[in-house]
Amino acid sequence: MFTYEKKLQYPVDIKRPNPLYAQIILSQYGGPDGELGASVRYLSQRYSMPYPELKALLTDIGTEELGHLEMVAAIVHQLTRNLTTDEIEKSGFAPYFTDHTVGVYPASASGVPFNAAALAVKGDVITDLHEDLAAEQKARTTYDNILRLVDDPDVRDPIRFLREREIVHYQRFGEALRLATDRMNSKNYYAVNPAFDQ
Amino acid sequence: MTDRRKLLARLSASQFAAWELRIYLDTHPCDRVAADLLARYTKETAALKAEYERQYGPLTVANPEEADWQRDPWPWDYQGSDD
Repeated sequence: MFTYEKKLQYPVDIKRPNPLYAQIILSQYGGPDGELGASVRYLSQRYSMPYPELKALLTDIGTEELGHLEMVAAIVHQLTRNLTTDEIEKSGFAPYFTDHTVGVYPASASGVPFNAAALAVKGDVITDLHEDLAAEQKARTTYDNILRLVDDPDVRDPIRFLREREIVHYQRFGEALRLATDRMNSKNYYAVNPAFDQ
Repeated sequence: MTDRRKLLARLSASQFAAWELRIYLDTHPCDRVAADLLARYTKETAALKAEYERQYGPLTVANPEEADWQRDPWPWDYQGSDD
């Protein structure tokens, strides 16, 4: 089960609303490499993970991603406070506003609603861990692109924290891949899926 | 920065240190130095959490004070640059 703790993992305090920034950063809520996909990816992959230390890792990182999902939502929410219709029209936020007002809806920066096709659960240990390594790098690239577009230090600070977490998770998943291959027959580990083959 | 947010920052820093050690230990279960550090930060986090909840209300539903649980601010609320 899960319980909720009434705090963010890292503080979000944004003085100046900016609907353009909100639209860009929303991609890490419901976009192809966002935190919703990350949490569902790891928390779903753990059921076909045979090794206890890696069940723990997928559970822990999947749980942390839920905390990141909340941080991204807090950033988007605070960036859309007290907007005038004039600001909405000038910033390019009008299409999103038409469908969702200033609610936080899982979609990409380009307006595509969240799609589970952006994540994979293959049920094979080697395959899934490679997926996870790529996913962390794709999220890191997205945060890099956000940092290229956003100047406000109040917004950059929590985005930089989230970017650093992608790098740490990539490191842990690299260790997980090594631990998994160490447990398998070194002569044929590409031919054996320990989640299915006996 | 208010006393509440100073305490929340100390709690978050300690909790983050413990969390980082936790996921490190998932892939390095034999690292005794990290395990000792995790024990230290877990204890520190528990003490800071108890102090925060005593002063400012519950962080989890385990605390029975329902009226305090509902009270603003919620974590995503903008709380002002120097509140």
